[in-house]
Amino acid sequence: MTAVPSTTGHRGALAQGMTLAWRSLVPLRNEPGRLVQFLLQPVFMVVVFVLMFGAMSGDTEHAARFLLPGVLVQVALISTNATGMNLAEDIVNGVFDRFRSMPIARSAPLVGRVTADALTTAVTIAVALLAGIAAGFRITASPLGTLAGLALLLLFTLALSWVSAWLGLKAKSVASMQGVATAVLLPLTFGSSAFIPPANLPGVLRWWSSVNPVSHLADAVRALLTGAPVGPHVWVTLAWAAAVTACFVPLAVRAYTRRIR
Amino acid sequence: MTYAIETHGLVKRYGDKAALAGIDLAAPPGSVLGVLGPNGAGKTTAVRILATLVSPDGGRAAVGGHDVVKAPAEVRKLIGLTGQYASVDEKLTGRQNLVMIGRLLGMRRAEARGRAAALLAEFVLEDAADRAAGSYSGGMRRRLDLAVSLVGRPSIVFMDEPTTGLDPRARADLWRIVREQVASGATVLLTTQYLEEADQLADEIVLIDHGVVAARGTPRELKARAGDRRLEIRPEHDAEKAELILAEVTGQTPHRGENGLLSVPLLDSAVSPAVFRRLEEAGVSLAEHAVRRPTLDEAFLALTGTTTSGRTR
Repeated sequence: MTAVPSTTGHRGALAQGMTLAWRSLVPLRNEPGRLVQFLLQPVFMVVVFVLMFGAMSGDTEHAARFLLPGVLVQVALISTNATGMNLAEDIVNGVFDRFRSMPIARSAPLVGRVTADALTTAVTIAVALLAGIAAGFRITASPLGTLAGLALLLLFTLALSWVSAWLGLKAKSVASMQGVATAVLLPLTFGSSAFIPPANLPGVLRWWSSVNPVSHLADAVRALLTGAPVGPHVWVTLAWAAAVTACFVPLAVRAYTRRIR
Repeated sequence: MTYAIETHGLVKRYGDKAALAGIDLAAPPGSVLGVLGPNGAGKTTAVRILATLVSPDGGRAAVGGHDVVKAPAEVRKLIGLTGQYASVDEKLTGRQNLVMIGRLLGMRRAEARGRAAALLAEFVLEDAADRAAGSYSGGMRRRLDLAVSLVGRPSIVFMDEPTTGLDPRARADLWRIVREQVASGATVLLTTQYLEEADQLADEIVLIDHGVVAARGTPRELKARAGDRRLEIRPEHDAEKAELILAEVTGQTPHRGENGLLSVPLLDSAVSPAVFRRLEEAGVSLAEHAVRRPTLDEAFLALTGTTTSGRTR
């Protein structure tokens, strides 16, 4: 098989990662049903959290200003679930064995998966933002501030998707991965300032919400989109994203290379 | 001589259970090595080590002259792997699966598409080419899996139980494909639970059980030792006359089984019609007749003096 060129260089690894990202996205085109579900979910979240919960508060405009950034954080973080679930699926049904037996960069399947999921997350966030605007949310920040807010959200989500990847590579089955990921994500998202200010919470919940990194993320995104003072939240969020990435990229890569059945 | 596939004293333990307890294999280039054994014998473990998916705990293994532990990247350039469980992406179409592998191997888009189209035609998958692989039947899936493993034109192909669970027709299709691969010069290591499959395809058979080699030889040698097919008849009457005719036509001494069953080794398929004709001429009618192959269990018993389900030696 002399026809196969060397694939150990960085160009090769990048091209392979892109091929595998394509492979992760193409099912959305094959089955438009998947696309509907993945576009409908953010709209549904906006309807429930912004319109319905907002109606409860009386002042819908103020509620939208507070809640929509929370919904963006929520849908972005929940979407990281897909990374680990898809990796677990590839392991269980033997697709990864094929990749590992091929002369491709060891990192390509991971990079491809995470890249594809970052793209779908970006689309999810955009759909939620558009739905939010339709529901009465007004971006009052500069375009630069808005972009910074969305970029920060995407960066944190990317960091978290490596946690999801690690869980997926460690999991015994797709269902167990889903269980663990839900147990991690629900307290992180709901137990944060995404939907309720910590000051309104009792005892332990207030403590948890104040130490939860997602609270800093939600506060930073909210401040950046509405042009309010950001305080320390952007830097704390960046520090968390860096720390999580620094921990979980090596963990995920190690779990991937050692994944032996 | 440089073997395409070679192992010496290969050992793999899972916990305190030895999946492989010292296996020697050798396949010359362009040959088919059949690794025959029951479930849990260690066949899949051997394939996984040779395909660089698992490291051995002892012994050594080389593929195309490259050590699987020291030079896995070199090994991966030479091999194609078809798993026991079809490892295609179910959410992609057959064509997309093939194009993806071509692109991963560094082919340009047009080249990858051309290779995919050629393989779809060769493996009779053109009608289903643009359907999700998840909707394929068992036989189609195995064919796609095999096609995917051949995209890079590997010189050494590992097929781990490629026909387990397939119906006879799908199995015959796969056998044809394996023969074509060998005709094009590839070395094939095939694992199977079926004596007949190893007999049909392999140049040499290694029988493994409980992680050790129980017997090895060419199919002809092993069959001679295991006992070939047997012709069995159960006459309704005139048992002695039937026995005489059977002995005369086959030149073998019939074995008397229970309930009047008579059997002889069947060395030549043309013999059975001759037997039936003579019996009919003599007016002997049969309650039952069959040609039976030795089962894997019987072959094990004959070749090793042990059964597959437990050691009795």
